[in-house]
Amino acid sequence: MTIRNRIIIAVAIQATIICLIGVFVYLSFNTVLSKLGVIEIIDDLNISLLEVRKSEKNYFLYGDVNALKEVVERGEYLDNVIQSSKADILKTLGPGTYDTMRNNLNQYLNMARGVIATKKTPTKFEEDFRSLGHELTRLSEVLLKRERRDVNNIISTSITRLIASLGVVLLFQLVVWQYFSHFLIKELAIMGNLIQMVSQGKLHEVAKQTFSPKNEIDYAIKALADMARELEKREAVLLQSEKLASLGILISGVAHELGNPLNNISLIAQGYLSLYDILEDGEKKNFMADVLTQTERISRIINNLLDFSRQKKQELQEYEPEDLVERSIALVSNQIKISNVKLHKYLQPDLPHVYVDAPQIEQVLINLLINAIQAMPEGGDLTLDVGQDMENGNLIVKVKDTGAGISKEDLPHVFDPFFTTKGTKGTGLGLSLSYGIIQQHRGDIAVESEEGQGTTFTVKIPIYQPKEREEDAQADLDR
Amino acid sequence: MPKQILIVDDEKIVCDMAQRILTQEGYDVEAFIDSTQALDRIRNKQFDLVVTDLKMENVDGMAILKEVNQLYPDTKVIMLTAYATLDAAIEAIRERIFDFFPKPVKIEDLKRSVKKALGS
Repeated sequence: MTIRNRIIIAVAIQATIICLIGVFVYLSFNTVLSKLGVIEIIDDLNISLLEVRKSEKNYFLYGDVNALKEVVERGEYLDNVIQSSKADILKTLGPGTYDTMRNNLNQYLNMARGVIATKKTPTKFEEDFRSLGHELTRLSEVLLKRERRDVNNIISTSITRLIASLGVVLLFQLVVWQYFSHFLIKELAIMGNLIQMVSQGKLHEVAKQTFSPKNEIDYAIKALADMARELEKREAVLLQSEKLASLGILISGVAHELGNPLNNISLIAQGYLSLYDILEDGEKKNFMADVLTQTERISRIINNLLDFSRQKKQELQEYEPEDLVERSIALVSNQIKISNVKLHKYLQPDLPHVYVDAPQIEQVLINLLINAIQAMPEGGDLTLDVGQDMENGNLIVKVKDTGAGISKEDLPHVFDPFFTTKGTKGTGLGLSLSYGIIQQHRGDIAVESEEGQGTTFTVKIPIYQPKEREEDAQADLDR
Repeated sequence: MPKQILIVDDEKIVCDMAQRILTQEGYDVEAFIDSTQALDRIRNKQFDLVVTDLKMENVDGMAILKEVNQLYPDTKVIMLTAYATLDAAIEAIRERIFDFFPKPVKIEDLKRSVKKALGS
């Protein structure tokens, strides 16, 4: 589900809860309002009833029939009030209460009307009449109390429910916040990881992240993977063009290297022709065998060069470090021969194997060797030291020259893309790409230099550990 | 007495062929694949002509030329090289080289140059 949809759902749930609370508050207030209306009516009734009772009291005090007439008048008025409030009373107090009230009142009034008409006071009249009046007063007071209590109850439950609802809203907010922060942090952490991998040059691992995106961050991650794939393609092109640049340098050496076998073939042919008459059959055979040896030498030189120039798919394989080093040296050997540089090669015997992409590692070594040779135009010593770091299980290749060195200002930038100290002669990509290649091999490349003393590049490549590799491969499969 | 020639080149075929051809021409020829051995020989014996390769392991052609000039000013030196650059040629001329051949070498040219160097 997209983050947008999740947010919409969360907001919708919140809005629904708040609307429900609003409706509830509205209904509660409405009830309270109608109850207050009823209280007012009952209050009116009470007051009218008190007037009736006052006249009743006067009648018994003074025995004045006029007072009894007043009772009837006021009682009829009260009955009118009750009747006109019938709807409200029925709604809030029920038909039972309404009927009781009217029946009692009518009975009370009929007694009064009887006395007025007959002018006779029946026995026990005062007692019955008073108790009926008293009953009316009591009923109305009970009603009033009940209604007031109801209003109080409604208000206090409303307050409790309102507070509870606010609590629910807050709780929901907390849950939503927790959910989003957890969810976003998790997704952002994945993304952060991938970005770091890109910056470390592990493009391949990022590029192979293929999944169907479900939300905006997934889309961003997918875009990142697409970018890594694109960068990987471009890096491959860049690697190839840098390789071609190295080839341009190597080719002059190779042209010279071809000179010797060609000269040999030429000499054999010339000798064969000029000595033809005096040569024995065996010697002629030897001459031809020599020609074959020399042509094989030429194709070996050309094949070396072709091997290096070919763009190959990245492929990790187990190699002996000696092979990698010797093949790299073979390609630059003529550069060394042409220049006044002397090569000192130290290869520690029985080096452990490495698990690498051989053409890439060879390109790194050739880059470093060509750089070292070019750093010593007046000649010097080029030291290639291949050993092993027992502690960390790394193969260590040191390429050291006795050239002019790199200035302190330039030194931190030598691995930056497009940084070059060779002016227009360099692309500024050799070391940057070498850095990328070594990083991809989980290795390390570092430089030390002192002006006037020379420069040393140190390459570390993890030693092949079959078990570890199997675990890695398994982890890749599981992913 | 035939003229004495020393040939040094780390390419065995060059040594063999030059020795064969020049011997055929009537010279006394010693050939060395190892330049260190050649230098030792030069220090012990004066040759009329030294034919040397330029780029060699251990001692290179320029060092041999300098050594010959220092020991035997009359001995001529002819240089062969697959790595013919202008810089190398200029340096060789300054060291009074007699002739300078970029490889591949034409045997007839070499024969002519040897004849000229030995004044015969």
